Amino acid sequence: MKFFIGQVMPYITVTIFLLGLLWRAWRWTGALRIHNITLSPFARNWADTIGIILAQILFFWNPWKFDRPLWVGAWPMHVALAGVLGGHVLGIYFLGTQFTYIGLSVAASKQASVLLGQLIGVVFLVALLYLLYRRIAIEKVRAVSAPSDYLHLLLMLAIVLVGDLMRFLPSAELEYEEARHFLAGLFTFHPVPIPDNWYFIIHFLLVQILMIVFPFSKLVHPLGMLWERWIVNRPYQDTPLGLPGVRLTLSGPAGGSTGSKGV
Amino acid sequence: MPYIEVLGQQIEVDEDGYIQDPSIWTPEIAKAMAPMEQITELTDEHWKVINYLRDYYMKFGICPMIRKLCKDTGYTLKKIYELFPTGPAKGACKLAGAPKPTGCV
Amino acid sequence: MAAEKKLKAPKKATEAELRAIHIKPVPDEEKPKVALELLRRYKDEWRSLVLAMETCVKCGLCAENCHSYLGTRDPYNIPAKRADLVRKVWKRYFTPQGRLFGWLVGAEDLTLETLEMWYSYFYQCSECRRCGHVCPFGIDTCEVTMAARRILHQLGMVPKLHATTGAAMLKSGNHMGLTPAGIQDTLEFLSDEIEEENGFRIEFPIDKPDSDILYIPSSADFMLNPETLKGAARFFHYIGANWTITTRMTEAGNFGYLFDQALVQKELVNRLFQEAVRLGAKKIVWGECGHGWRAIKMYYNTMADLPHRIPITHILDEAAEYVKRGLLKLDKEKNPEPTTLHDPCNYVRACGLSENMRVLIKAACADFREMEPNREKNFCCGGGSGILFDDPDMYELRIKFSLKKAEQIRATGAKVLCAPCSICKAQFHPMIEEHHLGVELYGLIDLVGRALVWD
Repeated sequence: MKFFIGQVMPYITVTIFLLGLLWRAWRWTGALRIHNITLSPFARNWADTIGIILAQILFFWNPWKFDRPLWVGAWPMHVALAGVLGGHVLGIYFLGTQFTYIGLSVAASKQASVLLGQLIGVVFLVALLYLLYRRIAIEKVRAVSAPSDYLHLLLMLAIVLVGDLMRFLPSAELEYEEARHFLAGLFTFHPVPIPDNWYFIIHFLLVQILMIVFPFSKLVHPLGMLWERWIVNRPYQDTPLGLPGVRLTLSGPAGGSTGSKGV
Repeated sequence: MPYIEVLGQQIEVDEDGYIQDPSIWTPEIAKAMAPMEQITELTDEHWKVINYLRDYYMKFGICPMIRKLCKDTGYTLKKIYELFPTGPAKGACKLAGAPKPTGCV
Repeated sequence: MAAEKKLKAPKKATEAELRAIHIKPVPDEEKPKVALELLRRYKDEWRSLVLAMETCVKCGLCAENCHSYLGTRDPYNIPAKRADLVRKVWKRYFTPQGRLFGWLVGAEDLTLETLEMWYSYFYQCSECRRCGHVCPFGIDTCEVTMAARRILHQLGMVPKLHATTGAAMLKSGNHMGLTPAGIQDTLEFLSDEIEEENGFRIEFPIDKPDSDILYIPSSADFMLNPETLKGAARFFHYIGANWTITTRMTEAGNFGYLFDQALVQKELVNRLFQEAVRLGAKKIVWGECGHGWRAIKMYYNTMADLPHRIPITHILDEAAEYVKRGLLKLDKEKNPEPTTLHDPCNYVRACGLSENMRVLIKAACADFREMEPNREKNFCCGGGSGILFDDPDMYELRIKFSLKKAEQIRATGAKVLCAPCSICKAQFHPMIEEHHLGVELYGLIDLVGRALVWD
C-alpha cells in the first residue's frame, strides 16, 4: 500500500488534477454567449479591471466591506494557504536555507523556516476551525450548505492538523532532505519509496484526495473568479454624449438665445 | 373563467372582475359590478364618472390619466375615492368596462 | 405535500393569456423533462449562468445584503440558496460529482414541486444585482433568475402581470396598451398643463419625420408619472431640440426582458430600430426606466434582428453633461423641499448613472439629502423586475421587500422622494402609504424641468 500511495497514485492524482481543471475551464469557455453585463464598479479601461480584480484577490475586498465576520476567517485562511504552499516549495527545495537570500545565516534561516511554518500552520488551523464553526452555528451559512461543504472543510482540517503535528512534535517531524529526495524522485519520473513516517504518509494521501476532488468541486473558485470577473468587470465604452440638431449644443448656443420660450 | 350574472345573462370576467370583452358593456353590467367595488348604490355623480370614462375609452382605446379624469369631471381625487373606494383604476375604470391596466402601475 | 408550508407565488397567466404571447403550456407530467432540456441547452451557451452554477462557494455573504432576505427572513430568499434551486438540479444531471454522489454534494432530481418553488422564489428576486455587487467573485445571481424565468415561461408558468403586459407589448409597442389616439390626447393635455404652469406652450412632437432625436418615454409616464414627460419636454424645448416621440414604440421599459428574453423582448427592440430609421433619428434618447435602460444598454446588440448604428443614450446622462458645463440655468428654489434620491438598482449597479444623477439633483434642488447606504450600495425598492403583484399574498411580500427602503427614507427626514425609474415609482406610490412615509414622489427630469429658468 505504501508503494501505491507513494509511487503510483501521485501520477494518477496529478493527471486527474490537471486534466480535470482543463476540462472544467473548457466547459466554461465553451459557453460562448455572453451579454454585456458589466457590473459596478465600472471599469473604464483594462487598468481599472486589473485593479478591481487584484483588490479582490489580495485583500478580499468585498468580504471586508460587506461581511466583516466572514473576512476575519476567510482572508487569514487564504493567506495561510498561500504561505503554506509557498513555504512547502521554498522550504523543501532550499532545505530551509531560503532566508539566506535576505541576509540571514543558514542556522537562522532554518529556525525562521520552522517558526514561520509553525505560525502559519496555527493560523491556518484556527481560521479553518472558525469557518467550520460559522457553517455549523450561523443560520444563513448553514442554510446554504450542502454536506460536501462540511466535508471539504473537514478534509482540509485533517491535512493541516497532521501537517501541524509534523511541525510541532519532534517524533513526527520529517527532515527536508528526505522530503526533497522523495519529491524529486516523483518529478523526475524515477520514484523512490515513500519516507517511513506515518504522519507524512497520511498527510500525503489526504492532499492527493484533495487534489482529486478539487476539479469536481467548488474548490475551483480561484479559476471561476477570473472567468466571472472578466465578464462583469470588463471595461465598457459608453456612447459619446452630445445631442444632434439642437440649438444649445454642448459647446454653447449655436446661434440664437438659449432657453427661450418661443421656438 | 369566472362569470357575473346580469339580467339573466352570463358575462365573462377575469379573476379580478374586469369584463373580458369591453364591447359588450352596458350600464346594467356596471350596476352588477358595483357591490364588488364596495359601492351600495350608483348615484348621478357615479354615472358622470362612469359615462365619461366609457366615452373616453370608446374614443381613445385606453383610460385617461387620473388628472385628466379629475379635471374633466370637476371632481378631486379625494372625491373620486369617496365615490369609488377601490380607486379610479380598480373601481371606476372597471365599472366602465375597461380592461385591467398592465405594466408598471 | 399538503402539509408543506404554502408557497407564495403570483397568480399564473391563464391559457388564453399565454396564447396571446404565443405560448402553449407544457402538461405537468412533461414539465421536468422539458425544463431539463432547456437547462441543458443553456449550459452549453450562457456563460454567466454556467459560472453562477459552478463558482459559488456558499460563503453566505449575499444573505444579509439582499433586501428580499432582510425583509422576509425566508432562507430561500438568500441569493445563493435561491440559485441552489437550479444548482441542485444542475449538479444532479450535468456534473460527475452530482451524478455519482447525489445529496452528498447537494444534488437533487428535478420534480414538479421544485418547478413550483422556482416559480415562487424567482419572482421574489428583483434582479437588482446587489448580490452580484457584494459577491467576492462577482457572481451575477440575476442570470440564474433570468434563466429560471425563461424556462418557466416556456413551460407556461408566467405571472398574469407579465403575460398580459407582454401581450400589450406585442400589440401596441408599450406596456400599457396605449393607443396612438390616447397618446396624442394625453400629450395635448400635458401641453395645456405646461402652458398653465410656465405661461407658454410646449408641444410634444408625435411621429414627426426628419427628427434628429427620438425620445423613448416610459408608458407609465402617460398614466402615473406625467411630470416626467413634462420635465423631458421642458428640457428638449430649452435646448431647442428637433425631437419626436413615436406612437409605435412608446416604452422605455421592456417587460420581455423580465420573463421571456425572446420574442416579447425583441418586439420592442425591433420596433425601436424600425422607428428610428423611419423618422430619420440620429440619436435615440432614453427616458426614465431602470430595467429598460439596462436591457437596451447591455442586450440590444444581441436582440435586434437587423444591424443598426444609431447611438443610444440616456436623458439623464445628456442633461447632466449640460449641467456640468453650466449650460442649463436652474433655480434650486423651485424645488425647495428636503429631497432624497433613491438610486434605482439598474442605474447604479448596471448602468453607471450614480454621479450624473447627483449632478442633476444637486443643481435642481435646494436641500438634497443622501440616504444611507447610497449609490451602488443602495437597496432595491422591492419592486424590481416587475414583481409589482397585487394579489394579497404577493402584495404583503412587497411591503416586506420595501421595509429596508422605508427605513432609509425615514432616516433622511426628506419630504420629497426622487426615484427616476418607472417600476420604482409604481412600487413607491402604494408603499409610501403602506409605510406611512408621507413623501411626495418625483422622477429626476421632472425636478430639472421645474427648476429651469426661461428667458
